[in-house]
Amino acid sequence: MRALCWNGVNDLRVERVPDPTILGPQDAIIKVSLSSVCGSDLHLIGGYVPTMRAGDIIGHEFLGEVVEKGPEVTRLNRGDRVITVSIIGCGKCWHCQHEEFSLCDNSNPQPAFEEAAYGHCTAGIFGYSHAFGGYAGSHAEYIRVPFADTNCFRVPEGVTDEQAVFVSDAVPTGYMAADMGNIKPGDVVAVWGCGGVGQMAMKSAFLMGAERVIGIDRFPDRLRAAQMKAGAETLDYSRVDIYDALLAMTGGRGPDVCIDAVGMEADSGASAIEDLYDRGKQALRLENDRPAVLRQMIQCCRKGGTLSIVGVYGGLIDKFPMGAAMNKALTFRMGQQHGQRYVKRLFEHIEKDDLDPSYLLTHKWALDDAPQGYRMFKEKADDCMRVVFAP
Amino acid sequence: MTRGRDGGRRLEGSAGTLERWAAILGGTALGFAGARRGSWALAALGGGLFLAGAAGVPLSSPLRQAALPAMRREPTTTQANVTIAVPAEKLFRHWRNVRHLAALFPHLDAVEILSDTESRWKAHGPGGVPVVWNSRLDKVRENELITWHTLEGADLPHRGTVLFRPAPGGRGTEVSLTLAYHPPGGVGGNAVSRLFGTAPEQQAREALRRLKRIMEVGELPTIDGQPSGRAERGGSRSRMQEVTG
Ligand SMILES: [Zn+2]
Ligand SMILES: [Zn+2]
Repeated sequence: MRALCWNGVNDLRVERVPDPTILGPQDAIIKVSLSSVCGSDLHLIGGYVPTMRAGDIIGHEFLGEVVEKGPEVTRLNRGDRVITVSIIGCGKCWHCQHEEFSLCDNSNPQPAFEEAAYGHCTAGIFGYSHAFGGYAGSHAEYIRVPFADTNCFRVPEGVTDEQAVFVSDAVPTGYMAADMGNIKPGDVVAVWGCGGVGQMAMKSAFLMGAERVIGIDRFPDRLRAAQMKAGAETLDYSRVDIYDALLAMTGGRGPDVCIDAVGMEADSGASAIEDLYDRGKQALRLENDRPAVLRQMIQCCRKGGTLSIVGVYGGLIDKFPMGAAMNKALTFRMGQQHGQRYVKRLFEHIEKDDLDPSYLLTHKWALDDAPQGYRMFKEKADDCMRVVFAP
Repeated sequence: MTRGRDGGRRLEGSAGTLERWAAILGGTALGFAGARRGSWALAALGGGLFLAGAAGVPLSSPLRQAALPAMRREPTTTQANVTIAVPAEKLFRHWRNVRHLAALFPHLDAVEILSDTESRWKAHGPGGVPVVWNSRLDKVRENELITWHTLEGADLPHRGTVLFRPAPGGRGTEVSLTLAYHPPGGVGGNAVSRLFGTAPEQQAREALRRLKRIMEVGELPTIDGQPSGRAERGGSRSRMQEVTG
């Protein structure tokens, strides 16, 4: 089959590779019909997430058709149109039983990396480096899904392919970001990052009762989408001081809930010195991640408010304003998405037309053009929100 | 899972620090492993400065300690712990059937049952070196505990204990595996390193992880045999597109 392989920093190629086969009794093989790029793939491509190996197939957000299944797969049939949650649960461990699928004890076949770096290992993720299991990704014609009964979900008739594909990752990640914010009616929610996940977080915040949602970005098309599609007010951090603007908009209180949908490669916007400091340290590998958004959220959040973090961080950060966080009694919630917990609810929202993620899809390209698709996504050219590949 | 370590008693205090440093260094090493740009010399230099500066701890002493275990002449005790979401009875029954243990230790070739309490074990070290020992059960407490020791003439003399106790909050069962090797410096010690390489604690941890995965999900998750663009896996690397950003 053809697959998009990572061969080194910013070196992506579509190559011929063997077809995947059933390796475990609970596996299924999915024929991929749509597979989306994701912001966190840019961290991999740029070399910020370690333990990538040349030849790894990337991609983790996809929709397809079940073409083969292992003997112990009972809930799926050949021909089913399914999405697969990008983060793999075994379905049986204590964490999976408590719907904390991204903390699965068993789905990562290479736990030693994470145990050394993080103390414990977390769930495997498709196409997401060897620290996260080394599973082959979805930018391919076929993909093998382990523990298919837990991780694959049949797409209801009334939901289109273009809506469903994002229920694999962007929608549940954004929804969980809002869910972790423990939003109460009347709350003001600020979302850093107006890409796919940020858009879904804004929309979800309204579904959970937020009175006002403020989206923060610098790309005009994303800010426009946040206004027109997600119903948010917007701030362009390249033009205004975010602290001043947020306090002005909230009567000096600050937002009740601050959501980080950016992660490790954040721009600092106004503070050029901080940005230089972070970029310098990251380039020298003195610091894995640039925590600009985290610092800003801690500063801006109202006293006693909640920070919800779904932007991906990989390693160590410094200059973390712990004094502000502690004295302001902030609550931190964070994590990779537990998508399996939300999929059913999300399909219902889509069927009721509460939520339509299909507008994230701005470009649909052939898999053969995937390297250019990623370049476009990275440069955010042509108002690109998400490129989706159809093999 | 917690890590086992050499000479458990003695290292209690310093081991915490050592492990923290191992984690920090490990994390940074991961970062370096992924770095395929920038200056390597600068990165290495800066990394050391950062680590030393960050906590005000001199690097030399943890590093000296890390080099110590290889030279020690003390009994070596390894412990590993895991919580398995399965009742103790089920785990006890599984372990009591020693034939099941071959699946937990990949270097085990055969387990032969000689009597109700004695068994004969055949394993191989790196390079296929055969290692053989007879083992006798000491104490068996239903659903709680199994202890054993090896008999005279064993290539790998050791004592072992596996302990099952209910985990709080209905989390299943906490399993502890303890292995003590006597004497580590002698013939047995050579067998230990032949069999386990330099990290017996890693082997113990891996064994409990396999037990957990077999008992909880009924299979060992794997990526062996999946496709990739690596030539050694059969990818033909017919280059269709290339881009450099
Ligand atoms: Zn993603
Ligand atoms: Zn699990």
